Amino acid sequence: MRGLWWDGTILAMARRILIVDDSAGFRAQARTLLTAAGFDVVAEAEDGLSGVRATRELTPEVVLLDVQLPDVSGFDVARMLHDGPDPPAIILISSREASDYGRGIDRSGASGFISKADLSARTLEALLDGDER
Amino acid sequence: MTARRWWLLALAVGALVWALGGEWISISNGVPENHFLDAMVGLSFFGAGIVAIDRRPGNVIGPLMICYAAAWFLGNWGQTGLPLLVPLGFVGGTLSTPFLVQILFVYPSGRIQTTFERVVLWGVYVLSFGVALVVLLAWDPRAFGCLDCWHTYAPFPSSAVSDMVLRINDRAALVLVPLFFVVLVLRWRRASHAERRELAPLWTAAVLLAIVYLIGSFASPDETSNSFAYLLWEVRGILEIFVPIIFVWGLLSTRLAQSAVGSLVVELERPLPPGGLRDALARTLGDPSLEVAYAIEGDEHWVDADGQRVTLPGPPVDRRTATTIAPEGEALAVLIHDPALDEGLVRSAGAAAGLAIANERLRAQVRAQLEEVRASRQRIVEAGDRERRRVERNLHDGAQQRLVTISLGLAMLRQREGLDPATGKAVAHAIEELRSAMGELRELARGIHPAILTEEGLVAAVEMVADRSSVPVQVHVAFEGRLPEPVEATAYYVVSECIANVAKYADASGALVGLERRNGSLHVEVADDGKGGADVDRGSGLRGLEDRVAAVGGTFRIESPRGEGTRVFAEIPTDA
Repeated sequence: MRGLWWDGTILAMARRILIVDDSAGFRAQARTLLTAAGFDVVAEAEDGLSGVRATRELTPEVVLLDVQLPDVSGFDVARMLHDGPDPPAIILISSREASDYGRGIDRSGASGFISKADLSARTLEALLDGDER
Repeated sequence: MTARRWWLLALAVGALVWALGGEWISISNGVPENHFLDAMVGLSFFGAGIVAIDRRPGNVIGPLMICYAAAWFLGNWGQTGLPLLVPLGFVGGTLSTPFLVQILFVYPSGRIQTTFERVVLWGVYVLSFGVALVVLLAWDPRAFGCLDCWHTYAPFPSSAVSDMVLRINDRAALVLVPLFFVVLVLRWRRASHAERRELAPLWTAAVLLAIVYLIGSFASPDETSNSFAYLLWEVRGILEIFVPIIFVWGLLSTRLAQSAVGSLVVELERPLPPGGLRDALARTLGDPSLEVAYAIEGDEHWVDADGQRVTLPGPPVDRRTATTIAPEGEALAVLIHDPALDEGLVRSAGAAAGLAIANERLRAQVRAQLEEVRASRQRIVEAGDRERRRVERNLHDGAQQRLVTISLGLAMLRQREGLDPATGKAVAHAIEELRSAMGELRELARGIHPAILTEEGLVAAVEMVADRSSVPVQVHVAFEGRLPEPVEATAYYVVSECIANVAKYADASGALVGLERRNGSLHVEVADDGKGGADVDRGSGLRGLEDRVAAVGGTFRIESPRGEGTRVFAEIPTDA
């Protein structure tokens, strides 16, 4: 899925990513950060249901999904996406830590969790690569 | 003697004159009928009617009985040949029937209860008075050989029309009697236990009477010349006498029931068990469904003996009647009972039980206050929980979110190319400091309220507690789905406080948490294999947990024998 061709360097096709978070400031920052690292941010959504809709329409490869959303819980959104057709890789994010959510993260069908303060292209890549293996 | 009694005496004298006068006319005209039976039917209705007006002034049954008896003797007065009375006498029996039907329909309350009953009754009235009107206008007594009847003849004499109407009248029972039975059956099915007991004797007579009417509609219209028709007339008369007899007997049995009030007074002299007053009143009044509501805070609110709020039946009496017990003008209590009970009897019983009611009301007031305290304690706990959730959420949405933004900004700054090493080091230091600040803030927020409890519910939150515990904890869950917030919060605090105690004091090698929904409650159990000896009265937050569980109406129990581990049980109502 990832490498398009191999000619001595990895020429990666930019991963298509959707950001679902109710904080506009964080979305802007994440977009800057991820675009700089070569991700293709296809869209942003500010609540759970529009996140689900955007995923169905744009079929991103990765969904960066905030746990605490104004309408439905991020866990529920993750379950909806995971149980849907052609599910994307779902990375839950929160300003809290993974231990605040216990086994909820595993149960939601998400590929991983990144604390927002730790968000970087590297941590994201590491989770996604781990998921693919 | 009161004016009303004088008036009733006058009515009785008038009735006697009307009855005996009618019989005298009948006898002197040599009418071949049983004069004794005829007089007895009419007089029994007059008598019962006067008693009914006296004892139940607001009830329509008394006047209806008088009307019935008056119409009954109209036939006899018709034989005088006086104008109007001749044709009216001819249809006297017809005019009396609707009064009787109404008496049977409205017994004992005096009120029509359903639209269907009203329609059937109107049908009977319209038919009877319609026949009377047609006879007045069209019936010519000369056609019956009464050539010397000295009255103004009918304005539109037509024997064809009057014959037809009279024939319809004779056969109407074929339709009306089945309708009458339908009314009876429907009413019987609706009736309460007490109502049925009151209705049974009268309706037995009514059913027999209706059958006689039905048979009569097949018999010859001329009672005097046809022996079978005459027999039916006699049977009908005998059955009709039963109606007033049963009615008066009903009034007297109310009086008999009053003597039960005497027994109630004796019974109430002994101390009553909880709920005993209600039982004693229910027994005395013969209404097992009787409820007693006590007034608190003036008479603005009503509670039962346990202090729980009670709603009184509203004005559109919905199968229940409320009788207020207010000795000396102040409403103490309300008896909510079957409307069929005699109001006077209910009042007597209430008056007899006055002192016991006043005592029970004081107890109910105390219980209501306790209930109010319990409810307000629950509200306070819930408000506290809500506030903790709000503070945690605000920290998360506000300060934590901003710190995340700063942290990400600094991270991007550090990665920028061409940054001089000193600045890079300072930024790295700032990031570290920021991380510890965020860590502390997270810890604070978690202590205020665990986010997972709101987001994922009790089970996930308890599993998190288990995962983070320094002592191995096994969690057994025997239910699915979410529970009301106060229930989840209470259960969570029980588990997290107990697991914290296990880690701190119990010296245990492991602990077990059980969550189970059973009989409308959530059962929480936390057990460990530590040294035991935990005591609610000796701190360690157990007293606080006990209060918290009690605040949502639950129970809390500890078994902690020294050296044998500790088991904590909490039972929390899930509909709290």
